[in-house]
Amino acid sequence: MSHVVFSTWRGEQIDNRGKDPEEYVASAYSLPEEYTADTRSKAFVGWDGVAIFEEEIDAVRLATEYAAQYQKYSEACGRCAPGRWGGRILYDLLDKIARGEGAFEDIEHLREVSQTMMLTSKCEIGRTVPKPILDLMDHYKEQFDACILEQKQSIHYDADKTYIAKVTAPCTDACPSHVDIPAYIEGVRDMQFADSLQATRQTMPLAHTCGRVCPHPCETACRRTNLDEPISIMELKRLGADYETDHGLGYLHPQEPKPLRNDGKKVAIIGAGPAGLTAAYYLALEGIKVDIFEELPVLGGEVAVGVPQYRMPVEKYNKDIELVTSMEAVTVHTNHRVDAERLKEIDAQYDATLLAFGTRLSKKVRADNERPEIKGYWGAIDMLDRVNLWTKYGIGSPASEELKGKTVVCVGGGFTSMDVVRCAVREGAKKVIMLYRRDEKTIIRNTTYEEYHEAVEEGVEFIFHSAVEKIVDEDDVLKSLKINKFELVPDPDGGRPQLVKIEDGDFEIETDFLIPAVSQAADLQILPEEWDIKLTSWNTILTNGKDYMTSRPGLFGAGDCEYGPMTIVNAVGQAKRAASVISRYIYDGEVSLTDEEIMEDHLQKLKVYDKNETITGWMPGLPRQVSEKLETDERKTNNKEVNLGFTGEEAIAEAERCMRCYYISMVAV
Amino acid sequence: MSIREPNKTITVTIDGQECRGEWGQTILQVARANDIYIPTMCYLSKVEPIASCRMCVVEVENVEGMILSCQEKAIDGAVITTNSDDLYRERQNITKLYDVNHPLECGVCDKSGECDLQGKTIEFGVDQQTFTARDQHRPVQDWGFISYDPSLCILCEKCVRVCNEVVGDEALQISVGGYKSTIINTKLDQQCAECGECMAVCPVGALASTDFKYTANAWEMTRIPASCAHCSSGCQLYYEVKHESIDNAQEKIYRVTNESEFSSLCGAGRFAFDYANQAATQDATAFDRAVAALKQADTIRFSATITNEEALLLEQFRAAHDVKLVCDDAYGYQRFLNAYREVSGTTLYNASLDEVAHSRAIVVLGTRIYDDNPMVKYHMAMASKRHQARIAYFHPMEDARMQNLVTQFVKYEVGSEEGVAALLAATLLKGKVLPEALQSVIDELDIGNLSAESNVGEEELDALALSLWKKEGFTLIVGADLYNHPEAESIARWIAAIEKYGEFNVLIVPPATNARGVAEICTLSEMTEGYTVGYNAPGDFVLSALGDGDLDMPALNQQEGTFTTVDQRVVPTHPALPYGGYTLNALTNAFGIGSRHTIDQTIHLPEDKGFRPVAFDDLPDYFDAVGHEHRGYCLEAQSCPVNEAYTEPEDLPTYDGVLVYRCNEGNAFSPFTARSARESEKAILKGSAQFAAAAKLQEGQTIRFEQDGVSYERVFHIDTTLKGTVAIHPTWDRGLSAFALSSYRFAHLKFETTGNDDE
Repeated sequence: MSHVVFSTWRGEQIDNRGKDPEEYVASAYSLPEEYTADTRSKAFVGWDGVAIFEEEIDAVRLATEYAAQYQKYSEACGRCAPGRWGGRILYDLLDKIARGEGAFEDIEHLREVSQTMMLTSKCEIGRTVPKPILDLMDHYKEQFDACILEQKQSIHYDADKTYIAKVTAPCTDACPSHVDIPAYIEGVRDMQFADSLQATRQTMPLAHTCGRVCPHPCETACRRTNLDEPISIMELKRLGADYETDHGLGYLHPQEPKPLRNDGKKVAIIGAGPAGLTAAYYLALEGIKVDIFEELPVLGGEVAVGVPQYRMPVEKYNKDIELVTSMEAVTVHTNHRVDAERLKEIDAQYDATLLAFGTRLSKKVRADNERPEIKGYWGAIDMLDRVNLWTKYGIGSPASEELKGKTVVCVGGGFTSMDVVRCAVREGAKKVIMLYRRDEKTIIRNTTYEEYHEAVEEGVEFIFHSAVEKIVDEDDVLKSLKINKFELVPDPDGGRPQLVKIEDGDFEIETDFLIPAVSQAADLQILPEEWDIKLTSWNTILTNGKDYMTSRPGLFGAGDCEYGPMTIVNAVGQAKRAASVISRYIYDGEVSLTDEEIMEDHLQKLKVYDKNETITGWMPGLPRQVSEKLETDERKTNNKEVNLGFTGEEAIAEAERCMRCYYISMVAV
Repeated sequence: MSIREPNKTITVTIDGQECRGEWGQTILQVARANDIYIPTMCYLSKVEPIASCRMCVVEVENVEGMILSCQEKAIDGAVITTNSDDLYRERQNITKLYDVNHPLECGVCDKSGECDLQGKTIEFGVDQQTFTARDQHRPVQDWGFISYDPSLCILCEKCVRVCNEVVGDEALQISVGGYKSTIINTKLDQQCAECGECMAVCPVGALASTDFKYTANAWEMTRIPASCAHCSSGCQLYYEVKHESIDNAQEKIYRVTNESEFSSLCGAGRFAFDYANQAATQDATAFDRAVAALKQADTIRFSATITNEEALLLEQFRAAHDVKLVCDDAYGYQRFLNAYREVSGTTLYNASLDEVAHSRAIVVLGTRIYDDNPMVKYHMAMASKRHQARIAYFHPMEDARMQNLVTQFVKYEVGSEEGVAALLAATLLKGKVLPEALQSVIDELDIGNLSAESNVGEEELDALALSLWKKEGFTLIVGADLYNHPEAESIARWIAAIEKYGEFNVLIVPPATNARGVAEICTLSEMTEGYTVGYNAPGDFVLSALGDGDLDMPALNQQEGTFTTVDQRVVPTHPALPYGGYTLNALTNAFGIGSRHTIDQTIHLPEDKGFRPVAFDDLPDYFDAVGHEHRGYCLEAQSCPVNEAYTEPEDLPTYDGVLVYRCNEGNAFSPFTARSARESEKAILKGSAQFAAAAKLQEGQTIRFEQDGVSYERVFHIDTTLKGTVAIHPTWDRGLSAFALSSYRFAHLKFETTGNDDE
């Protein structure tokens, strides 16, 4: 709900002009009426209409500025005839009217050019830019007419006003890292793979990784879904990264890294996982000195020691990691555990410190007799550490020494539990069972369709609607599990169905291992007690989710230790923002956001993707491409990468489905 | 209706006409295949849809909005309208936008008369500009062989696409700037291939040949369809001719164009057209001496820069007069093919350029392909760009120009090709069902030793095997380093085994223009013997199209006849310029061989070698509306006796010290290419800094050395893109002696210094 004077946003027709503010009709959308806490917006102009927050507004200048923003945007594009010339003509004609030199035939030409842009432009940006301009020309016609009739400037033509714009897309908005997805897809379409990678790296250094193991929230917000099926966004990211690696091209940065500043300022990062690496990368691009402290002997965090080789080959991940560690400004300290005492030292030595140590404590399944000392009770994080350290780095010893020929029960339902069971298969377990409280549909929603089906193909037995009641041991050696069975009982009042225990449904499973993979927690012993760092109710580090500063000035937190166990892309997005805030904080001691970031947050609140929108101008009926996977027999006894990725022709065909749904939004303040 | 069901037939209705197509085809492709016109500005058949002009929009029943026909797939059952008032209006508006501030200089623009913008402006009746945008000052840029006029440029991006997707050069890029966008050449100071592909596909006058500019109007020239005679690709082209000037009626080639919508050319094909032997006259005395020389001849030595018909005349002469035929360009190649056939059992290798372009993995062995055959390299680039092909490049010399295409560079020791071929066979045939004879030889290979001697690491071979996981679409390309290798026949058998049992397509790239045809038609001997008549080759009596022999001969752009190309296709060519002298046919006529015209032989090309009994004038020579090639015909495979005898490589030869590699770089294939005015640069010896240090040579020093009995005086230059102790040794400037080289391409360099380059 927003307070507006006038709005055509998303098809609403609200006109409160001249009304008593008491009688104003409110907009149904979360429009950015407050730009920041102390700055009110005067107007919002976007791809789907305009919203005016003040009675006195210069609609002619507003339209001209919006057209000007498109000109600015198109300096990064301008790749279709209607967009390139049409956009320029829109701006030139609007400015002509605004400066008092327009004629009525200019209005006609504006309409003519607008129509061609709306019908034939390549990107959604060209198709949507005329929309709010035409709205303004229609609903504030008298202002345009006055400029033309009296050959005078628009009311605020020379006034000092600020117009802040941002280009986004539904997918970009939904991506926690706000990756410029249409740009990297365009790179694939054009077979300009270096361009594709550079587009990704603007906000996402881990292109190999997030081209393989990202749960792709972007695809849920893909406008193509409204037409047929979403673009296979995630997998298209691999092509640029693979191109760089395959041709040994050296690292392509989104911009030339700035020289090391050498001004005595330095930032400490605790943890070399996705969040730590990301923050280090973007600070280093700015020439700011960074030290990363990592407890493990290897870099990469959970993606290195948690995500298995068959999903995320370490040689590819290492390319992402080397991109960061090859930067002059980055120094890495492995085998360097930071405890509360050490953190106090670091805090004193560095201008800012980012906590990015993740969540590396396996939570319990909450069964009777759940004691870590029982042989056969093995936390998922420890188990995956063992598997990955050996298979990827030759550190330790093979997990097959424990698992070969054994029965393994995993309790879980998320990605980590999938990794546990599929690794157990590869380590030679005789029988692998996944226990899950809910149903098949939910496990697919929590992971992916592919993950679940591949696990089933590899022989993992899934038992749904079940939970461990009791762990049975003999002399501290695991023997069996007592399992409760549940059923979903619909709520007669229409609420969420309830899981109800089935009486007499209990059964027992004899097993050698129970691997709890229900969730992970942050190891908070690192925080000095006297700092009294504020925590969330989930026992993670509390920030405002915008600037990522903790309750202690100069101490920041990003990734899983801030959010709780979440995705790589979430950690990357948070860390990128934190790096940006830190890059200013270390100089002025202020916590601030750029206009770009403020707009990013506004748009996320407004929601860019509209699942009810009707798509025009595209041929429906083109399902998404599906990449080839290794056959079950080719993969289940080894660690070969399962997903072979798109062939070139599949990738191009998929990229051609992308509708390039760029939009411009602009706020006048 | 899924792309997951390839090759499904679809039926769509376009403008009321029922059209069939295949799933995956675009609306525009189906329309064109059915002769239905949809206007386009940026569409180029040979590349993926660019989608910048938006002019090809159509309407589809029950689909809202306008649909981009060049990119959107034809969905089964779609009912499509290609023309309506609304579509006309939008296309007209796009034309208006293109015309905004487009300079009104058609009167002096080279493109006038063949300009797509001119055509569309007339088609859509745009006769005035009713709205405007602020104009910009955009001066013409000089790119050397091409000039770029950004104010004429419509940013269709065709040039960028061909440069990236076809040529694989990545020189041209769009400098994005909205209304200020332009095309930039990022390799002006490096190694842009100077192929002119960008210019060929430019729909307006923005990219123009610097030499051609302001010399002729499109409609004044006569187009002579022909095939390029510079290398074995035999690309389709047109010589465009007109009289020299008002007071000189002599015909002159002004430029070369081609069916650039579907096929491509390299720089030699496009710019090195000026090599005709135009001064030739019918000198009866010289002719009589030539006949006498032929009578006396023990050997006829000739170059493979020859038509199939001429090769047949020579073969007939050989049979009738018991002379030896020596063709240094083709002998090693023929021997290699024969050994290959002993294993494959068929006369034709099984890859074509089109298959190269569709490969998912390519292994290249024994060729500096960038220079040896640009068209093969183009097709590798297409495979890389479109199919993400893995490209493993086995050669003693890395080629920095190929880095963006090659995914694995494997350096082997000079001379170790036989060992490398055996290692490749062992790697690529692992796990395949093989005949006992082959399996036992492979089992007995001393892999460790071969690997050590050739310097090809076992881990490199493992990496190669690993990169072939796509299971199909593999191509092996082999080239001229192998044909004159001392163990060429053994290498050929390994290559054939990979083709036969390894599910590989093999392309055995012919080393010279018509080496493929000569290898089929002529019975060749290795060495000359006794009195030798040279035809475009050294001899006691020389017939030369370079005009420097004892009797003039026509250059290949003055001849009609056919070539057999790398694609094993027999393609026709026509004379661009008149020729005043005698032909080979005239000479053989004196011996009762041949008939009135050389092309009377076309129908007689040997059927038992796969040629077809088709008369020259019946050979088709066109591309159809969707780009299928109908030029001449493809050779038909003949089966041959099989004798699978593999030999384990003996100790591999070693080449220590500084070496030279015979290679004509930069579109300079031969003395004919060199004759062209465009190829006026000097041949130099190019080596790495390491080479310079090892040879104790300074930049700019002049040295003299001898190779294959030919003496060279060369200025030495350091090329920082090269590595190792092998220098690039060009031969194109040495006249007919360049056609008499049949040694292994690498050789030791023994030289004396003769001075310093003063420049």
